Amino acid sequence: MDRHAPLKVVVLGGGTAGWMTAASLAKLLPDRASVDLIESEDIGIIGVGEATLPHIRGFVERLGIREAEFMKATHATYKLGIDFRDFGRIGESYIHPFGSFGEELAGVGFHHYWLELQRRGEAAPLGEYSMCVAAALANRFQPPSQDLSLSSTYGYAYQFDATLFGPFMRQFGQSVGVTRHEGLVTNVERDGDTGNVTALLLNDGRRIEGDLFVDCSGFRSLLLGQELDEEWEDWSHWLPCDRAAAMPCTHATEDIRPYTTATAMPAGWRWQIPLQHRMGNGYVFSSAFTDEDAACEAIRSAAEGEPLADPRVLRFRPGRRRRSWSHNVVGVGLASGFLEPLESTSIYLAQMAITYLIELFPEPGGIEPADRDAFNQLVDMEYDRVRDFLILHYHATTRDDSEFWNHVRTMTVPDSLGDKLELWRKTGRIEKYSDGLFFDASWIAVYVGQGLLPQRHDSRTGMVDPERLKAAAERLRREIASEVSRMPGHREYLERETSRLAEAS
Amino acid sequence: MSEPREPLRRIVVAGSGQVALLTAIALRRALPATEVVLLAVAPQGPAFADFAATSLAFTASLHDRLGIDEERMIATAAASHRLSTRYFGWSSQDQRGLFAHGGWNGRAMRARFGRDWGGGPNIEGGERPAGSLAEVLTDVGRFALPPADRETPLSLIEYALRWNPPAYRALLVEHAGQLGIGHVQAPIETIERDGAGGIRGLNIQGLGWLEADLFVDCSGPAALLASALPDFATIDWSASLPTRRVFIAAAGEPMIALEDRITLLEEGWLIEQAGRDGLLTILGVGERTSDQAAIAALGTNPIAVMPVSPGRVAEPWQGNVIAIGDSSAQFEPLANLNLDLAHRQLDLLLEMLPGRGIEPLERAEYNRRAGLMMDTTRDLLAFHYATPRARRVFGEVEVPEAVQIALDQFVRRGRMPFHEESALLREEEMDLLGALGFERRMSPQEGSPDPGGVEAAQAEFATLANRALEAAPPYAEWIAAVTQPS
Repeated sequence: MDRHAPLKVVVLGGGTAGWMTAASLAKLLPDRASVDLIESEDIGIIGVGEATLPHIRGFVERLGIREAEFMKATHATYKLGIDFRDFGRIGESYIHPFGSFGEELAGVGFHHYWLELQRRGEAAPLGEYSMCVAAALANRFQPPSQDLSLSSTYGYAYQFDATLFGPFMRQFGQSVGVTRHEGLVTNVERDGDTGNVTALLLNDGRRIEGDLFVDCSGFRSLLLGQELDEEWEDWSHWLPCDRAAAMPCTHATEDIRPYTTATAMPAGWRWQIPLQHRMGNGYVFSSAFTDEDAACEAIRSAAEGEPLADPRVLRFRPGRRRRSWSHNVVGVGLASGFLEPLESTSIYLAQMAITYLIELFPEPGGIEPADRDAFNQLVDMEYDRVRDFLILHYHATTRDDSEFWNHVRTMTVPDSLGDKLELWRKTGRIEKYSDGLFFDASWIAVYVGQGLLPQRHDSRTGMVDPERLKAAAERLRREIASEVSRMPGHREYLERETSRLAEAS
Repeated sequence: MSEPREPLRRIVVAGSGQVALLTAIALRRALPATEVVLLAVAPQGPAFADFAATSLAFTASLHDRLGIDEERMIATAAASHRLSTRYFGWSSQDQRGLFAHGGWNGRAMRARFGRDWGGGPNIEGGERPAGSLAEVLTDVGRFALPPADRETPLSLIEYALRWNPPAYRALLVEHAGQLGIGHVQAPIETIERDGAGGIRGLNIQGLGWLEADLFVDCSGPAALLASALPDFATIDWSASLPTRRVFIAAAGEPMIALEDRITLLEEGWLIEQAGRDGLLTILGVGERTSDQAAIAALGTNPIAVMPVSPGRVAEPWQGNVIAIGDSSAQFEPLANLNLDLAHRQLDLLLEMLPGRGIEPLERAEYNRRAGLMMDTTRDLLAFHYATPRARRVFGEVEVPEAVQIALDQFVRRGRMPFHEESALLREEEMDLLGALGFERRMSPQEGSPDPGGVEAAQAEFATLANRALEAAPPYAEWIAAVTQPS
């Protein structure tokens, strides 16, 4: 094979994952990959994930896309975290921020000192010691600073219209050389010896050949699931939600929240995602505990603002393929795995897979099993870590007001999560890793936010003079409040630059 | 409601070397109300961490947190700075490469490297250009600690310190005395177990019964306390690490240099470590090399010959006993990792400091992380023995799976898998493999670099390097100036 001939990549599916994959490969590997994408106007796009994680900024930047242009096209707003309501207990809420809480002191994490202050009845809510939480709750936003000041202690992401993000990536992808084919796949051709996919046949008789196929066909998982029959690891016993009823509404308030809201419901939870011109709403529920009609009715009555459409029901199942890369087929997005959008991880998980695919992109000589193994191992690690973190949101609760909450409160959790929980309960410590998603501050936010306090915290907190500790914590809280009061409002900051605003529709 | 854990009442640190001393100092500072007793048993056997005259960059940050003043180390312990280690002859006899603390500078620079030089030793078109600020400075022998009053590129430089071990130890002894750390110097007569996998107390000759809530074993390879526990077990590394004896030469002439050298000879590896108190020369050999051949390669009669039986304890924290440094893992002093491992274990202990009641899961989490630290340390050493020439000198060894995967990914794909708890950053690991002469193929993205971006990165680096050179005096002059009696 010619050392310099680009590999022919065929992306199946024109949703968010498909166009992100195609555009990234075409833009970042122009000499290594020629990219074709097959999509059909007859197949709807799920458009999962209107809320994102800070990693998306690096991803978009790497493609050379300007933030303002991207925000304008997708009606995006800024996001500082997620407000979780009624999860630990009805009436309680907390923000999981893209930022930290306080500062380590003498080698001991801030949350240990907070637990000590709390024991003495001298602690404000944990969020008041986080610049990110305080700014979010005040509906204020400005980009973090680059120095070591308080204003550098947070990150941000976007909340955008996923049905606009796909087309934006399509336009970008076509501008960097992706060839689009309209059509439905009717047959998959495979090599008799290797089992590799060799070509896809379309309903109009065209035959699209390729060296590498990226399955972005969503839950259908046409290649990885249907054709290659890659085993599915089902996680619904830990994450029972399997449906979502989505319904956009008008904004009900003048302010635009720089955060996503997740409110626990009797059989799941509902999201509120503020965009520039509207509010995204949806009820993620378990069909084992409520039916679709009831869920649609529930979201209709819970949503604030005027409905802009009828509720639309999406179906899914949590889990992942045991191998996301098999033969010469790589699954990206829903074709490879699904985790409900409770922590806005859908787009991250697709981008993560794309990033690893680029790092491990096959050499012209063919796919090395070692590279496939490396990819699958990385993808599994990412999915498994997110999975445990999601399960925590359901399990760490005192709610006993519905069968759904009784189930998740009392279910057996994976051992990997069970050990983390026990370590926290007994010592206030977090199992540490540096790869993947969700580090210490995230776990602390959810544990404390959902009322799961440890029984014990670090003995060293008792050695600081109580008055000095109290004064230092109070000083931090006041500094944060004062910094936040100088920040512009979220809407004000958004509107300061018209280049990031979409035309009023 | 969460309660603070009941503090440890007494901690016994067993050992008398620099690891035990720094451990006692760190614990004393962390727990001012806890009695810290140093049980000064002399290290037995090849205590490479205790006798180390250098470490990695992590030690500088640990020292800083523990109040061990670097300027005092320069003034009283002959401390000097190492920015790089130069490797000679590992992939082939005439191959050479440079490992810089802190690794390479940025993705764009790497892309340029990939394109221009393929990252390997077989370069066409002349000398490889410097890949990092550290390399630029090492090549011309210029460096100084960054000035406090203005910003210079020197503050971007990572470095390791070397020192005179007896003088450094004396400095730690003085420090420990100031902190009021108790000191007992007498042999252990009996060790009494507590029935829960740990130790209740010790009978000390002439002094009697010594109890503690926590015992930290820094006693050296004998692991006096840890090895007395019922579930003590070790993991043998000798199939992967072939060095069996280490020959140490008497200190040579004082030498001020920003680099150390590690050369692979026909007999084994030879370290030449610069020092203001004299050049330190260490030779490591495998089973194939006779004492006679080793002494000839060392070029002088050794002042010490130490056996190496590489391995680690299965669980460094058992019951209420934690093994740190030489008592947890033994391996040759090849890449300045012995004391670095001890210091990172100490840091982990400080992070996870228990209360009086130790929870099994905190022990498990400590053992998981300390285990990763030890295994990634073994893997960094194993990279050395996986080079083509080392395989001839030492013979074929068992290459750990993680090393096989990393080498395959590095050579074939130009990437390095992420290793949790490794002594080196991912960039540094790649730099080390480059220094050992592994040829790295371009990663997919480097094959399609944006030429404009590469040129810009190159220009930016050149500017930065010039600014660094302007800010840095010749290192020997700087050392002379700061050590001049005022």
